[in-house]
Amino acid sequence: MYASKRRSRIGLAYLAPAVLFVLVFTAYPFIRMVWLSLHNWSLLAEPTYVGLDNFSRAFDDDQFWTSLKFTLTYTILITPILIVGGYLVALLTAPNTVLRRLTRTIVFLPVVIGLGASSLLWYWLFSPRSGLVNAALTDLGLIDKPVLWLGVDTNVSNWAVIISVVWKVLGFGMLLFVAAIQAIPAEISESAMVDGASYWQRVRRLILPLTMPTVLFVTLVSVIGSLLAFDQFFLMTAGQPHNETATSVFYVYLNSFPFLRLGYGAALSLLLAAIILVFTIIQTALARRSSL
Amino acid sequence: MGRTQRVRRLAVASAAILCLVVSGCSGDDDDAGGGGSPSGAMQMWERTGGNAPMVDALVAAWNAENPDRPIELTYVQHDQMVPNLSRAIASGDVPDLMGLDLIYGPQFASLGHLEDITDVIGNDPNLATASPGHIEVATWDDRLYGVPLYADVSVLFWNKDLFREAGLDPEVPPRNLTDIHDMAKAITAVGDGNYGYYLPGNCAGCNIFTFAPLIWASDKNAKIEPTGPGDEPLVGTSIKPVLEWARMMHKEGLIDPAAQAETGETFAEVFGSGKVGIMGTGNFNVALLQDQNPDLDLGVTVLPGLQTGQASSFAGGDIVTVPKGSDRVEDAVDFMKWLLTDEIQLEVYAKELNMTTRTDMLDNEYFNANEDVADTAKAIPLGRTPYTVKFFELINSPNGPWLQMLQRVYYTDDSIDEIIADAKEQMKTIVAQE
Repeated sequence: MYASKRRSRIGLAYLAPAVLFVLVFTAYPFIRMVWLSLHNWSLLAEPTYVGLDNFSRAFDDDQFWTSLKFTLTYTILITPILIVGGYLVALLTAPNTVLRRLTRTIVFLPVVIGLGASSLLWYWLFSPRSGLVNAALTDLGLIDKPVLWLGVDTNVSNWAVIISVVWKVLGFGMLLFVAAIQAIPAEISESAMVDGASYWQRVRRLILPLTMPTVLFVTLVSVIGSLLAFDQFFLMTAGQPHNETATSVFYVYLNSFPFLRLGYGAALSLLLAAIILVFTIIQTALARRSSL
Repeated sequence: MGRTQRVRRLAVASAAILCLVVSGCSGDDDDAGGGGSPSGAMQMWERTGGNAPMVDALVAAWNAENPDRPIELTYVQHDQMVPNLSRAIASGDVPDLMGLDLIYGPQFASLGHLEDITDVIGNDPNLATASPGHIEVATWDDRLYGVPLYADVSVLFWNKDLFREAGLDPEVPPRNLTDIHDMAKAITAVGDGNYGYYLPGNCAGCNIFTFAPLIWASDKNAKIEPTGPGDEPLVGTSIKPVLEWARMMHKEGLIDPAAQAETGETFAEVFGSGKVGIMGTGNFNVALLQDQNPDLDLGVTVLPGLQTGQASSFAGGDIVTVPKGSDRVEDAVDFMKWLLTDEIQLEVYAKELNMTTRTDMLDNEYFNANEDVADTAKAIPLGRTPYTVKFFELINSPNGPWLQMLQRVYYTDDSIDEIIADAKEQMKTIVAQE
């Protein structure tokens, strides 16, 4: 009995640093955010308790739903491009030759650039007056007047941002896919070849199923990242036109900082976190089912 | 000591070290310059931006004269200034001096977060001629909370080369909005990618800086912003006609269509391209243009109204204030008085070709040696600034009613009356919110 209690205490002592870390950096901020969501607070004046008003206000807030809808659209559009594109590039570059290694390095390079820096870079590339994108399209005879890529048309703006983000993060998925493909024992592939399987048959029936856990992991990371998109839209479109490209996090930011409505921003954050949690649960369930 | 005991002690020690690290990290942090320093140095916060060389020069001059109470200057990212300041105020760890974007003056003063300097600064004679726009927003309930730190003003540029090409007299600037329209039409007709006028379509701040003065000039009583709850926004006889004028300028193709995507990132470079005939911009663009495109034949005049003789400008820049809680109010006010002295106005502000912050210092040797700067400085006495406790949400936000109203005017066929009514409603809702 005594020994059992002593072992428990030792176990708790081992766990203490990690538990303390989680309590200080995760649990406390979360509890504080819940508290904040139940108050109106501008930082400049004393907080006032408003109960669930901030949540009910969010449900009546058209801009919140516009932002959420746009964020989902962005996520639905960009995720397949990142997964399929990353996987195709990984298939092309998985074998270790000099040229393929070089290609992998080039595709991966933008991943190490900050998202803010890459967004500014693409903002200038898409500039209607001095941007290289319009200049190239004009020189190729594809357009006869500059395209207004950013902040004028919602769909065009969305696609322009998607292009910039795909350039920036495609290499991340590619690298993980390459690692997963390279981990497949060569004998399996070779025996399939001996059995007369074509390249695409091997990809479809062998490589893809064996790398499915990685595909699902990259999809999960990509979906969560896209649902939390902020920097690229903040810098490239500023939410324009008419707030239609203001993502959910952008709207949380606007309320929390420039507008100094911390309580409302916290309530929006919690709603967004709940939505992401639902997506994550669904994806995890799908991942489990596929691995059975 | 047994192995189990050693492991247990190690685990407890690890937990204790983590506690120390965490508590150390969460302790008071003076890195950002918060709090009065016992060493005699005053801490000052200022936002980043093109103002930095000017503020650096002022602080260097002050420190040279006041080695016993120097200023330690910290720059805060300009779009993080208000949140950082709010956090500092909430935690009580404030700087002694704070360069505050002047449009936030009423908001911070109304909430009691700035020191009332009215009695400390007393009857400083230089206050009488300090930039009226700055002093207005530094005043709340007839009490003074700051003085101008630096001034930005909006003016109208015209490209004399394009005027010549269009067959216009390059020495005659537009004197009213009809002139701007007619001249812009002639310049646009030149073709080759030239456009007569420029209105940034996706930049709220650029428009309050260069478009609002057209409204104020046309009716000095016109008001765009509601000061607070219950106050009527968008009032005055000039609101509708000036918006109609802006729509006409767009409909007739006198403005570069690329301007619709202008978020402000390239606003300062537009006129330097040499492809725009007339454009509202700011004093900061004079030096930039002379540096980047010295061959461009530039003319500078005030932003006009509907009728000849009407003129206005946006008074931008910063006021310097003392946050509530500073124990260096008297030293801070000494710095404010020093900023307004003749010597500093001439030998720091004017010498560096920055706008003086006193209207009686415009006629000076430095400005007079540079015609464009002298013409720009004429806008200082005309400067006006929106006076509201919710400037960002109402005006500056890319998602706010001001920009939404202008975008509907510029790029849709919606009724102007309907657009104004919608914007009024949005503005009133915003100021009514807690």
